[in-house]
Amino acid sequence: MEVNVICTFCGSVCDDVLFDIEKFKGKKFCKLGSSKFSKKERLKSPMIDGKEVSYETAIEKSAEILVNAKRPLLYGWASTVNEAIRLGVILTEKVGGVYDQCASVCHAPGTLALIEEGVPGGSLGEIKNRADVVVFWGSNPMEAHPRHPVRYSVRAKGLLIKDRKDRKVVVVDVRKTKSANMADMFIQIKPGYDYAIISALRAIIKGEDSAVPDEVGGVSKEKLKELADLMVNAKYGAILYGLGVTQSRGRDRNVENAIKLVQLLNRKTRWIIWPMRGHYNVVGAGEVPAWEAGFTYAIDFSRGYPRFSPGEFSANEVLQRRDCDAALIIASDPVAHFPKASVAHLKKIPVIQIDPFPNMTTLVSNVVIPSAIAGLEAEGTAYRMDGIPFRVKKVVESEYWSDEQILEKMLEKVNEMLEG
Amino acid sequence: MLHIKNGIVIDPKNGINAEKMDIFIKDGKIVEESEVKNPEVIDASNKLVVAGGFDMHAHIAGSKINVGREMRPEEMRTVRLIAGKFRASIGRVLLTSPAIGYEYAKMGYTSAFEAAQPPVGSLHTHEELDAIPMIDKAALPVFGNWHFVLKYVAEKEYEKLRSFIAWAIERTKGYGVKVVNPGGVEAWMYGSNCKSLDDEVPGFGVTPREIITALIQETENLNLPHSVHLHCNNLGTPGNYQTTIESMKLAEKFSNDRRQVLHVTHVQFNSYAGSSWRDVASGAEEVAKYVNSVDNITIDMGQPIFGHATAMTGDAPFQFTLHKLTGARWSNKDSEIEGGAGIVPIGYLPKNPVHALQWAIGLELGLLVDSDKVVLSTDYPNGGPFTEYPYIMAMLMSRKMREKELERVSPYVQKASSLPAIDREKTLYEVIQMTRSLPARVMGLDVKGHLGIGADADIAIYNLNPLEIDTSNDFETVYKSFKTSAYTIKSGEIIAKDGELVKEVWGRTYWVDARNKVSLDAIDADLTEMFEKYYSLQRENYGVEERWLRKPERLDVGEVR
Amino acid sequence: MLILKPKIEFEVSVDAEITPSIALASEEEIANFEVFYGKEKRKLSELFEVKKEGDSAKIVLEGDFSKVKWVGARMDEGEIVIRGNIGDHCGAYMTGGKIIVEGDALDWVGAEMKGGEIVIEGNARNYIGCAYWGDATGMSGGKITIKGNARNYIGEKMGGGEIEIHGDAEDFIGTEMKDGLIVIHGNCGFVGGDMKGGTIKIKGNFELVPGFKKTDDGFEGDVNVGGKGKVISF
Repeated sequence: MEVNVICTFCGSVCDDVLFDIEKFKGKKFCKLGSSKFSKKERLKSPMIDGKEVSYETAIEKSAEILVNAKRPLLYGWASTVNEAIRLGVILTEKVGGVYDQCASVCHAPGTLALIEEGVPGGSLGEIKNRADVVVFWGSNPMEAHPRHPVRYSVRAKGLLIKDRKDRKVVVVDVRKTKSANMADMFIQIKPGYDYAIISALRAIIKGEDSAVPDEVGGVSKEKLKELADLMVNAKYGAILYGLGVTQSRGRDRNVENAIKLVQLLNRKTRWIIWPMRGHYNVVGAGEVPAWEAGFTYAIDFSRGYPRFSPGEFSANEVLQRRDCDAALIIASDPVAHFPKASVAHLKKIPVIQIDPFPNMTTLVSNVVIPSAIAGLEAEGTAYRMDGIPFRVKKVVESEYWSDEQILEKMLEKVNEMLEG
Repeated sequence: MLHIKNGIVIDPKNGINAEKMDIFIKDGKIVEESEVKNPEVIDASNKLVVAGGFDMHAHIAGSKINVGREMRPEEMRTVRLIAGKFRASIGRVLLTSPAIGYEYAKMGYTSAFEAAQPPVGSLHTHEELDAIPMIDKAALPVFGNWHFVLKYVAEKEYEKLRSFIAWAIERTKGYGVKVVNPGGVEAWMYGSNCKSLDDEVPGFGVTPREIITALIQETENLNLPHSVHLHCNNLGTPGNYQTTIESMKLAEKFSNDRRQVLHVTHVQFNSYAGSSWRDVASGAEEVAKYVNSVDNITIDMGQPIFGHATAMTGDAPFQFTLHKLTGARWSNKDSEIEGGAGIVPIGYLPKNPVHALQWAIGLELGLLVDSDKVVLSTDYPNGGPFTEYPYIMAMLMSRKMREKELERVSPYVQKASSLPAIDREKTLYEVIQMTRSLPARVMGLDVKGHLGIGADADIAIYNLNPLEIDTSNDFETVYKSFKTSAYTIKSGEIIAKDGELVKEVWGRTYWVDARNKVSLDAIDADLTEMFEKYYSLQRENYGVEERWLRKPERLDVGEVR
Repeated sequence: MLILKPKIEFEVSVDAEITPSIALASEEEIANFEVFYGKEKRKLSELFEVKKEGDSAKIVLEGDFSKVKWVGARMDEGEIVIRGNIGDHCGAYMTGGKIIVEGDALDWVGAEMKGGEIVIEGNARNYIGCAYWGDATGMSGGKITIKGNARNYIGEKMGGGEIEIHGDAEDFIGTEMKDGLIVIHGNCGFVGGDMKGGTIKIKGNFELVPGFKKTDDGFEGDVNVGGKGKVISF
């Protein structure tokens, strides 16, 4: 039997895909999604120091670790549902710890730019319907968001865009990516010069191109003028940016500068800018703490109220400064992705892992709690990269507890310990 | 069970004006004395007892509220409560969801409705509403730029429009028909706007006049609990009071014996005379005159409060204009084929001539419009914090307080508005109308806003003796008393006492089901086609199911409430 | 004068908003001064050896204070000498007095400072003299001197005062600067983005963002904001 499911892999959150329950495999998924919606190795049972225990025992031990720590770090969150994230924020507040989520290593610069300038954005449907110019800046959707071009941004047709020819696709990147091959215009830039190039574009569009040198970041002034022209003459343009911009020299200032460019363009025509978010619910991992605690990441609750400081309370900072004495890692694999110095500290402190699948972080975890796969075995709310909410589905029964159930029990245990 | 003893009750719906009365509560409702055995007794001697406040237009939940928080960490650095028995509560004017619930509770407000819900984002709005403790709530989905609406109005398919409204309110689990800058936000997708009622909406050939009229017509045909709720075209522009009156005139041919047929919101922002920011003046007198002359329109004030604020509305083109005017940060969210939103941080300074004028206009409306037609609001957070409603209440009742304030504001107000000349002082009875009985009637919720038998036991007790207080002169006491209730009771439970939280409870989310009044089959093919062609998500994954909400309360339009 | 020495090696960071005026308080008040050790509220004397010598408004911190944050925040007079490294937010919101750090500092040195003086003998990190997230103005008075190197975000949204860096710095010097003076003796990266006013003087190599026009003594810009900021080589 084939049922409609909502993919819980990347930020595209494709909701037109099918899952064959008997065969346990997906249909219409891209490579990334189908790897998740298939038979995979799972964590078999809750464990404490390698010994199998019950869920209740593992959760109780976790509660103990968090309550007794002076500064516990609760990190991950981007690959689980809002209902679990909400409990996670409340739990972090209860144990006076630090809440951080995956954005701190990928798209946090966008949040910082939002603080500095606001973000002139739009939903994916607007791009599909109206965008006659789409610029992928430091983003390679063909590899990171495989169905995004066909569903939303390149081949997608809608209200005003009836044909691929009605749209110009520009790729700006430091090397010729797979996405560059599908573009109408590819601009190769010197690594680390996004900021300068955007300043130059702004000056050109403002009519101050005499202040712009003949070459900026490896791009000639003529080429920049060509791009500026294309942008000004668009009817509805979209800049979609990725880690090429947020994780290279300039970071949040790169995004901030691009936003200023889009503000300027909106005085002449219509443009939006939006990040190509990676995990399927990394948006939720930021939105939920924002309404519960005022901020989207790097939140410290040690004083009994939330404080935001990205350079201080993001997971890598806290780990590298050896400023935490316990960690709960959920729906994430920091041991695989974080710098050596962060991982070194993770090895020294008690670590609790909540995840459906074993990964590198499992190897350093003292308590391991296996969870149900959201979107397959557990339902809940997730926000697509443009913020549109979806209720991901439960289509398969499972013995595993959901993240929501695990955290609910953990909060209950923490409350008991704090009251007693 | 509760017995509120010896309180002095003001209950405008039931005609009670400062009478000593006992109130009895059982199972969350106000009941006859005979139904109550061994109740807990609250001694309300010499205290004012009223229904809990009803904030019928506030931006408290959903994606644009959250973007506001995310954009403004400087707003989130004010600490109101350290975590302990209750959640940590932070925020200056913008607040976290727990803080919103706690602050309403401490002030004696027990219901608050989200003023503008982007339909495709409804689930997010409901998640945030369900993160707000204490209050009962609902959300108004926005219709005025939704392509289905524009299409059906253009094709004059009014029955299909009716079906669509019912379908949309059920899918969004919404409460009624909100209209924001009709046509203008669609025009913004092309970089323009609809500033007059006869500007054509690009791509559809309809006008705001046609959109508003059709939506009123079909909302009345459905007889929804709440009328069309309109944020007028041309908001924030000098001279716009004429657009506002013209918009109001569209309601002329409609009538409803339960309620208004059109509620026009935050009218202050739409009551400007003059032709530019240099000669801008108040058009409040003209607007008030018109509202008072008809019996089927209600408004709410949209009062600015001096200090910080955040402009957040579905009026995306206006928000861009505000960004250009002030140079402030600007967020925008064009949203599928449904509409848009914009957020810009702002502030109101007493010495700034334009801000002072806006402040004066809000008060003019509050004073000049009959109290059974004007609801007190700040259009939170656009005008300012809802925690300053007591300031507005005190000002409406005291000319002396207004004179004092007028001394510290820009002298521009003296020539550009009629506020200095208004002697009128509203009574306590009227101010309770404007904050309790009227909003409940406007929203069509008979169980709210009063203290009659059968009403929800949502009650506020204040340290104010209506038989002794001199509201003209004792405005400091009035202000202080309304800032912090002596008791706030929600569904029969004491949730706050003298500014301290007592118990955290979770309210209901009202939504309206009008499906049995229409044929959904009539629009089925259109829905399928539009979703396939123009939406970026599947029709089968669109909408909110009741079981995802914490405490949904379905209001069947067929029933009498 | 008050001398403080850490009693233990701190496992997690300590938030200690101590200012020189604490040296004038009684021994009991000093001992009971509340600090945060992670989420635990502790007394100053639990974490530090406290010795009072005389009645001057001066604090000497001896040892490694790199995990101690908010030292000198909001101070308005007196002197703090740190004989070692110091943690984040040193001298934030300061309006007067002097802070000398003999070792290295971390982030947010002199954030939103209005007056007084901070000298870091070693290196500092990011966000020097800057505005906290969402605030409109960074440093508006006083002087910050870094003898060693600094990293990113120097004097952003500066409204006045002076920052002098003897070593090198990285990117985003004087972004959105309104007034004041930044002097960098070494090399740095991106300079002057969205600069509205003020002066930046650089001795070493740097990368001026596009948007500056050549003048007699250097460059003026950023044209993107109609700015009249000056960037000068010396």
